[in-house]
Amino acid sequence: MKRWTIIATLVASILTAGVVFAETCLSPYIKGLRQPEKVMYLWTLPATQGPDYLSVIDVNLASPTYGKILRKIEVGSSGNEAHHMGFSDDRTKIWAASLNTSRFFIFDVGGDPMTPKLVRTIEDVPRLTGLSGPHTPYAIPGRMLVSMASGSDGTGPGGLAEFTNDGEFVGSHKAPNHPYETVVKPEFNRMITSSWVSQKTFMTSLDKWDPKDFSSTLLVWDLKGRKILQELKGDPIPLAARWMLKPNATYGYNISNGGDSIWMFRMQKDGAFTYKKVASTGKGCLPGDLRQSPDDRYLYVSCLGASEIQAWDIADPERPKLHDTVGGIVQANMMHVTYDGRRLYVTNSAISSIDYSPRYALRLIRIGPDGRLKLDPLFAVDFAQGPDGPARPHDMLLN
Amino acid sequence: MKRLTAAWLLAAVLVAGSAPVMAHEPAAPRPAVSPLTATPYLAVVKPAPNFALNDTAGRVVRLSELRGRVVLVSFIYTRCTTACPLLTARLGVLHRRAQTLAPAARPILLSITVDPARDSAAELARYAARFDASGPGWRFLREEPVSLAPVLHAWGEWTRLAGDGELDHPARIFLVDRAGRIREIYSLAFFDERQAWLDVRALLRD
Repeated sequence: MKRWTIIATLVASILTAGVVFAETCLSPYIKGLRQPEKVMYLWTLPATQGPDYLSVIDVNLASPTYGKILRKIEVGSSGNEAHHMGFSDDRTKIWAASLNTSRFFIFDVGGDPMTPKLVRTIEDVPRLTGLSGPHTPYAIPGRMLVSMASGSDGTGPGGLAEFTNDGEFVGSHKAPNHPYETVVKPEFNRMITSSWVSQKTFMTSLDKWDPKDFSSTLLVWDLKGRKILQELKGDPIPLAARWMLKPNATYGYNISNGGDSIWMFRMQKDGAFTYKKVASTGKGCLPGDLRQSPDDRYLYVSCLGASEIQAWDIADPERPKLHDTVGGIVQANMMHVTYDGRRLYVTNSAISSIDYSPRYALRLIRIGPDGRLKLDPLFAVDFAQGPDGPARPHDMLLN
Repeated sequence: MKRLTAAWLLAAVLVAGSAPVMAHEPAAPRPAVSPLTATPYLAVVKPAPNFALNDTAGRVVRLSELRGRVVLVSFIYTRCTTACPLLTARLGVLHRRAQTLAPAARPILLSITVDPARDSAAELARYAARFDASGPGWRFLREEPVSLAPVLHAWGEWTRLAGDGELDHPARIFLVDRAGRIREIYSLAFFDERQAWLDVRALLRD
């Protein structure tokens, strides 16, 4: 009997050994969360009037206020177009970028994670950096690299702006396109930036977007040298990019908003990258975000146009298979996968200039051990009818 | 005995069966291309905050007195079982390589304990000896917690006791140029002493 207990224990430990825990879609330099999330920070902009704010939401299942907005940290100015955020490498600060005014707001979350404090606002970013339209703040050791869509006047190519974690400007790195997002694989000293459109374009209504302004390239950088090594051409507006998490993984994926497609980038033995389309998300999907599971087994694509979330099985990396879809979230856009790969938070505002539905909300999708998706009917934070008026929820971080 | 053999066989089968969770395809060979950069981007990040800390022999080391030398400042603690020993070993490789330079060009390595409550000077000296880190080119520094706190703050360091007795702290190493300015910040987890060597050489050419 004792032996069978040992055997059972052994079997159980081996079975659970396959479960992979990792916080995905963050810079590899950031200290990862290794426990269930307790709080969500959601970068929010009012749909009518008032200052943009950081929503602090209780996501601790054991809490009596689970699923409620605990507080709003207002930034003191409006019209910023709150969009993306990023943790600093030590996870004590959040950098929140504003698409329209190019301001950066730095929140301290190291003191009391449940009560972020706005500690600095960086004005005059175009003058400082020669760039505008900041998209994603991305942590590198002791600093933040921010992908900026365009030149200082909101037109033309953009680049990357580099600051210390405290907000002191370090330098700018020009790009030939309109940078959107950054991914880094430190073991290869390689960084990839995706691209979209200039600030002037994304702040006008969608029907006025000029295809001539669309970027359709990824850039491969020597991170250490901040030098562009290669330009990879694909479908238009290649938004979110994700590198596989396995150490020394040579490949990753990105979505093309304009091409309704998933693309794969891969580093060859000689260091050069290939880039090819590996799946179609379906006409009218208009992919808005791409996320990955902690075990590199699934990709999640939000369809801004088709209002659905797709799970793609990438067990065969070159041939992703559509594994599951879930609807019920109109205008589905930003997503965030939890460290255990079991929960996927979704918001549904893209940019004020292109949103087509005012039914703003934060929703939760449960991910089964088989990778299947199920919308949680009980978790819904309604941003359409907030006490202070409707608001657009966009990027999320968990702590 | 037979049952145990069966258990191990079962275990082997399960290990083989569970492996695909992380290995959907054979692990890709590391590309032959070098990750190193001969012409690194070493912008001035900010002035290096000064400090005066004791080494393990009780001598005061002031960063400001090291102007004219390239300095690598790391933050460690001796009970660290994860990144710190590996980092210290890698710094050891860099330190040995630095002996090929003229004495005045050799980078100075300063390793500061973030755990002075548990790292006495003697403990720190034993740790240094384990890595053959003696001599004027590599100093291990400590200060009483009250005096150390402002130094840690100035360098963006903080500590938090983890449940397992380890200390959580920002895992960074700072490269300081001969004018006392921070020119690079490395992550402990991805520190490559070969690249740091190229960075030191680049600063010596400044």
